[in-house]
Formats: sequence, C-alpha cells, structure tokens
Amino acid sequence: MLDRVSRIVSRVLLWASALSLALMVGILTWQVFSRYVLDSSPAWAEQSALVLMIWMTFLGTASGIAEGFHIRIVEGVNSLAQPWRARAIGLANVLIIIAGILFLVLGAQLVGATWNNAVPTLPLTRGMVYLVIPASGALMALFALQKLLKGEEIAGSAGSA
Amino acid sequence: QGSRALLAADSQPENYPTVAALRFFASELARLTGGRLKVDVYPSEQLGSQNDTLELAQLGGIDLVRINSAPLNVLVPETLVPSLPFLFRSIAHMRSAMDGEPGRAILAALETHGLIGLAFYESGARSIYTVDRPVREPQDMAGLKIRVQTSDLFVSMIEAMGGNATPMAYGEVYQGMVQGVIDGAENNFPSYESSRHFEVAPVYSLTRHVMAPEIFAMSKRSWDKLSPDNREAVLQAARASVPVMREIWDERVIESRQIITAAGVQIIEDVDRAAFSERMQAVWSTYADTPALGRLVDDIRNMGETDA
Amino acid sequence: MTLILLLLILLAAMLYLGVPVAISLFLSAGAILLALDIPLVVAAQRMSAGVNVFTLMAIPLFILAGELMTQAGIARRLVNLSESTLGSAPGGLGQVTILSSMLFGAVSGSALASASAMGSAIGPEMRKRGFDADYTVNVSTTASITGLLIPPSHNMIIYATAAGTGISIGDLFLGGVVPGILTGLALMVVAGIVAIKRGYPRGSFPGVRPLLRAAVTAMPGILTAVIILVGILAGIFTPTESAAIACAYTLVIGIVVYRDLDLAGLRAAFVNSARTTIMVMFIIATASLFGWVLAVLQAPTQLAELLAPAMASPLLTLILIAAMLLVLGTFMDMAPLILITTPIFLPIAMEVGMDPVQFGVMLMLALGIGLLTPPVGSVLFVGCAAQGIQIGQALKTIWPFYIALLVALLLVICVPGLSLWLPQIIG
Ligand code: NA
Ligand code: NA
Repeated sequence: MLDRVSRIVSRVLLWASALSLALMVGILTWQVFSRYVLDSSPAWAEQSALVLMIWMTFLGTASGIAEGFHIRIVEGVNSLAQPWRARAIGLANVLIIIAGILFLVLGAQLVGATWNNAVPTLPLTRGMVYLVIPASGALMALFALQKLLKGEEIAGSAGSA
Repeated sequence: QGSRALLAADSQPENYPTVAALRFFASELARLTGGRLKVDVYPSEQLGSQNDTLELAQLGGIDLVRINSAPLNVLVPETLVPSLPFLFRSIAHMRSAMDGEPGRAILAALETHGLIGLAFYESGARSIYTVDRPVREPQDMAGLKIRVQTSDLFVSMIEAMGGNATPMAYGEVYQGMVQGVIDGAENNFPSYESSRHFEVAPVYSLTRHVMAPEIFAMSKRSWDKLSPDNREAVLQAARASVPVMREIWDERVIESRQIITAAGVQIIEDVDRAAFSERMQAVWSTYADTPALGRLVDDIRNMGETDA
Repeated sequence: MTLILLLLILLAAMLYLGVPVAISLFLSAGAILLALDIPLVVAAQRMSAGVNVFTLMAIPLFILAGELMTQAGIARRLVNLSESTLGSAPGGLGQVTILSSMLFGAVSGSALASASAMGSAIGPEMRKRGFDADYTVNVSTTASITGLLIPPSHNMIIYATAAGTGISIGDLFLGGVVPGILTGLALMVVAGIVAIKRGYPRGSFPGVRPLLRAAVTAMPGILTAVIILVGILAGIFTPTESAAIACAYTLVIGIVVYRDLDLAGLRAAFVNSARTTIMVMFIIATASLFGWVLAVLQAPTQLAELLAPAMASPLLTLILIAAMLLVLGTFMDMAPLILITTPIFLPIAMEVGMDPVQFGVMLMLALGIGLLTPPVGSVLFVGCAAQGIQIGQALKTIWPFYIALLVALLLVICVPGLSLWLPQIIG
C-alpha cells in the first residue's frame, strides 16, 4: 500500500517536471516568435520560464530519490562484503534523510526570509517560488526513510553527459 | 564574536575603487581594534552576485557587503530615491545629500531589512553611449534600443527619455551592439572603458541621468554579535573609508576619460539635461510613491551643493 | 587548509558510501558551514541561487533537443549519410560510426545520447559484416566525445555559468569546432589502422546520386546545429532561446517531415530529459553551495600556492591541471566536475596566460575522456550496454583510442590557435 502511494507520488512529480519542461519550451519559443513576428517581447516570459525550471528541479529531485536516478558512485559499496555492505547502504540512507530534513528546515527559513521579495514581472514572491525546496526535502526524507526501513539500496544512474 | 575573520564581499574586481575602499576599511578596523576584528575581502563576485551577497548578508552568511542600490530598490523603497533619474544636479550635489540628513535617513531604513547601513560609496554619473547617434535632447532618443539592467526603474527612465529600453545581461552587451540587437547602453566612464564597449559604441553623450550611490552595509545578525566598542570601531572605519573611496574614484574617472578620448571616442558635452529632467516627473511620482518618499525627494532637490 | 582537507575527506567518504553526488556535496559543505560558524540557512540560499540563473535554462532545453532528435529518427539518417560518404574508407563502418557520432553528437550536444543512439543504430549492422563488438564500442563511445566540443554543447554552457560573467557562449561554441573535428580525425586514423590490422571489410562507394539523396534526407537534422550557431552568432536569439528553437524545430521535423515522432516517443523524450535535467540541475544547485564554501576557504589561492613552483612554466601548469582533470574524471561525472573545478583551476590557468575559451575546450575534452574511463564512465558503460559486452572486454582494446584522445588534448593545450582562431575571425 505504502509502496504504491510512494510510487504514484514520485511518478506524478516526474510528470510534473516533464510538463514544466514542455511549458518552458513553449514560453521561450513564444518569446522569440513574438519578438520577431509581433515586434514585442512578453515581459513575463523570462521569469516564468525560470520559475518553472526551479520548480522542475526541486520537485523532480525527490522523485529521483524514490526512483534512484541521481548520479552516484556504486563501486565503493559494491566492493564491500556483507554485513558491511548493508550497513553502508543503511548509513547512506540515513545521510539522505538528514539532507532531506535540512532541506525542509533550511528551505522553510529561506521561504520566510524571502516571502516579501517580489519576483520581477510576475505576481509571485521569491518565498512562494522557494516553497518547493522544503516540500522537496520532506518528500526526500520520506522516500529515503521508506528505503531505510526496507533495507533497500538507493539505485544510481549512468550519468549526465 | 568568534575568531573567524569577517567576510566582506564586493562584486567588482581587485583594485576597483570600492574594493580598495574595503581594503582600507579592513586595515583601519584592525588598527582601531588592535587586531581584534579581522576582515577578509572577497572581490570579483567570489561569494556571489550582488543579489546573492545581499541575501546572504540578510541571512548572516556574509558579514559585510558592498552593493549598488539597484538590488536594494525592491526591498527598501528609500534606496530608490537617490537612484531616481535627473534628481541630482551634479556629483557635488549627490555627495552633500548622501553625507547629510537624507543619506542618514536612507541608511537607517536598511535596519528593518536585516542590514546596518555603514556608508555610501559611489559610482559616478551614468550616461548614454551609442553605436553612432549622439544624444543631445529627447528627440535623439527616438527609436534607440538602449540596454538596461533588469530594473523597472531603468526601463521607465529610458522610455521617459524617449528611447526603447532593452533589458539584457551585461556580458552580452558588447556582442549585442556589434550585431545591432541594441543601439547602445548606459554606464559611467570607468565601466564604459573597462568593458571595452567604447570600441563598438564610440559616441558617449553626457546625459548623466543617474548618480545612484553604492551602499556599504553590515549584516544585522553579525552586527548584533559585536560589542558596543567594536560597533563604534566599525562605523568609524567605514566613515574613514568614504573620502578614500572618492579620491580613488575621481582619479579613475579621469584616467578612463583619457583612455577613451585617446581611442577617438566622441564625447557629447552639450546635452540638454533640463529637457530630459522635465520628462521625469511621472517617473519620480511612480517610484517615490508615498508622502515620506516625496519629502525625501524634495529635501534632496532643495539642498545646495555644499550643505551637509 | 585543514578545513579544505576536511571538506574533501567528507565528500570522498560520502561518495564512497554511494550517497548521491548532489547530496554528498550538500552535506559536506554544510558541515564546513557549521565549523565556520556561518548560519546553515546559507546552504538553502546558495542552492536556490545556484539554479535561479537564466542562462542555465539552455541546459534542460538542449538535453530535450537531444532526446527529441533521438526519437525523431535524425540519428538513423545521419548514419545513412555517413555510410554513403565514408563506407568505402579503411575501416568502413568504423569510420561511418565516427562520422555519424560526430554529426549526432554535434547536433544533439550529448555524448551519452550519441553513444547510445549510434550503438543501437549501427551496432547490429557492424556485427553482421564481421566487426567485433569491442571495436564497435571503442569507436562509437570515443567518437561521441567530439559532440561535447562541436556546438551546441550544454556542458559548455555549464562551464560558462561556472566561470562567471564574461565568457561569450557564442565564442565558446565556435572555439570547440576545430578541436572537435581534429579529435574526430585523430580517431578516424586510429580506427583505420586497427581495422586494417584486424582485416575488417570496407564497403563500396554507392555513387554520387545516392550520396546526394542521403545528404538531402539528413539535411533537416544537420540544419539544427546550423540554426543554433547562426542564430546565436547573428544575434537573432540568445543561447537559451536557441535551445528552445532547437526543440521546437526538432518537433516539427520529427512530426511533419520525418513522421517518426509519435506520442510514445514524445512522452519518452520529455520524461527522459526531465530525469537527466533533474540530476544535472540538482548537482548544479548543491555544487553552487560547495563552490561557495571553497571560495570562503580561499581554495583557489591555496591551490595556486601549491602549484607555484610549477607556475614558472605555463605549459607545465596547464599539463598538470589537465592531468588532475583526467584523474578526477576517472571517478566523477562531467557536470559536477565542471562546476567544482572551474572556479579553482580557471583563475590559475588565466594567470599563466590561457584564454578562458581555450580552457573551456580543454576542460570539455579532458572531462570527456573521463566519461570513457572506469570506475565512473557513463558513456563507456552505455556503449557497452548497447553492444551487450562487459566493460573489461572493451577496455582491453580501447587504448589506441585513448592515445588519440590524449594527443588531441595535448594539442589543444599547446596550440591555443586551435580553440581561438575561429572565435577571433567570426566572433
Ligand atoms: Na555538440
Ligand atoms: Na571516468
């Protein structure tokens, strides 16, 4: 049950990220089009695409913990014999939980500090944009906790190039 | 205060007048406190852009920042006033206003935003430069695409002056002028010279539209950790750094002007500033939009150039 | 100095435990903030500021463009063109693989996409004609690296961001052209020699008419790179906008012209690139914090002091830097290394007179080689997976290709003109 919920949440996060990406393409293409064809640049285009990118990054970050696509080095852990291997994996999960909690707490502080800083050209404040950071931290910690309890490894991906 | 040195951030490179002023501040502060307060100066945006260092100072991550007033404008409305176009008649007028009561009021306004205003530095007067068209009066601005920083105030100002404002990253300006994406930009002599923009935009018209000061501030969180004696020493060292800064700045302006003159830049002196100034009423009232800000504007306008 | 060491030890320990790179950067830097008595909330500020950068938007967009090109069947048409051109040269299909990897790496900007697209597009054909799988892997993976140099290249944008203001992305893109082609040629020579030694067959020249036909079909794909370069250089759009245009253009080509792009392909392209983007941007965010801590600790100055004895000879300094990049590249991925090493090495390189554009090209090539070296070598891994062989099997025979890449790297370091000539005459 819990597994299914977390899988659905992380899928939704990933799709939301993909949708943000699609919107970014649309907005920036529209910006070039309107500059050359309509002879005016929409003022909101630049900032709204940027906000989408920030949301996409942090929303997806949590889903990367659940689905295990973040870049990591597996050779170290793989070279360990049991029970050290299991302990190392557990420790790594604990470290991710700590990071998630820090994201939550520090992100909330950042939101508080920037709540009144307006984002130019948009009816948003920086604090509203950064709400995604504590949210992502909470989910990260939860996903990693689930793996810790199940003794699971955080899977890793091939790379970014 | 622990044993760690205070972190001081500046966006300009080593040897720039504001950085030299910070270095002077550091040595003066060490002298005044018998070496108890040490300052490490990080020039060249090493600790982040101006917006970043401002935010970090508010959070207590950086102890001292030197930034220009633009990033503060969105936070502290009072800082908008000395950034208003055509508000100051001359550099002398600007200096006396910033040294006097209006300046003190603006620095005091920083405190509710987590900063202690220590001193005003400056970056001279900004003027318009173009690829080929001199700007003497508002009509000359018609159809000119002028690059501005991402700032609503600068956009309104260029539009009010009669041109088209094009916000663009600083690093793209040179290429932008070569390719004709923009017709010109605006800045002070030293930046115009050091960015080499004069190579592609060799007509510099002395509009001197903005003389916004630079601000040197301390993080309130760091300030609160200082003893009263140390606070006094910080203020005293900051005040002492102002004349040092101005002297270096003035030399720098003369030097830059010599370099660009030697490079064949055409400097347009006979700019009708009054004609531009007349068009600014709407800009002023849009940005200085409260009675208190309006009074600050009036106070500055009514000042003589040597009252302080 | 002690804190710098502590920072690096913490980072290494967490990487060893298999903690994701981004989180290792975040936690190790956070520990140093504590040690320095700097409020931890700085960590959140640095992360958000690290991704709140307009030019960074080009990265997800170029990644998406590469994915769309893969789904749109552009790779297959580039292979056809390459085969009609080079199929009859010594090494036949090997040369074809290099040329197509160069072309696809060039237009997509992704070495990883190129290695996997080429592996699957050309691998089966090579096997049918008697080429060994290890040869196919060696050729397709090493040639993919040229795509990091030949524009567009989202890794160059990451570098320009890490370097701070003042490096024109247009100049960087132009700077990579000649070194990229040169690297490709060096690989072709090696591929030819190895092919002759192993007695691989060559194809026959199909004639001018089929060559022209292949060129015409491949042209819309090749045009992407042209549109991007010309668009940026002529000031029609910014690099970021050019990336969006590349996506929109590929969508049109894939749906209307080639008709290879269906709904499933579209969804795959968007989800795949969201994944890649997230991992790159997450590292960019945390590396921005890590870099800030390195700056507070004055790491560049400290390293410069260490390197001081060598700095009398600029060439020696640069070779030392390149060697360090190669070592780091064996166990770390490209994007985090660009972000971590640029603020440290670039000031030193500039002090000994290297142009930031040339440094960028050197960085791309050195870290690109790192993508081919175990234990962390994503491009090599993907190439092996595509051909279904063990990494050890490919490694046994890859060394001549390593030599070609190292020679190219040495040339990039010793001959600034390779990187700077084009930007000077066009930029
Ligand atoms: Na490329
Ligand atoms: Na490697």
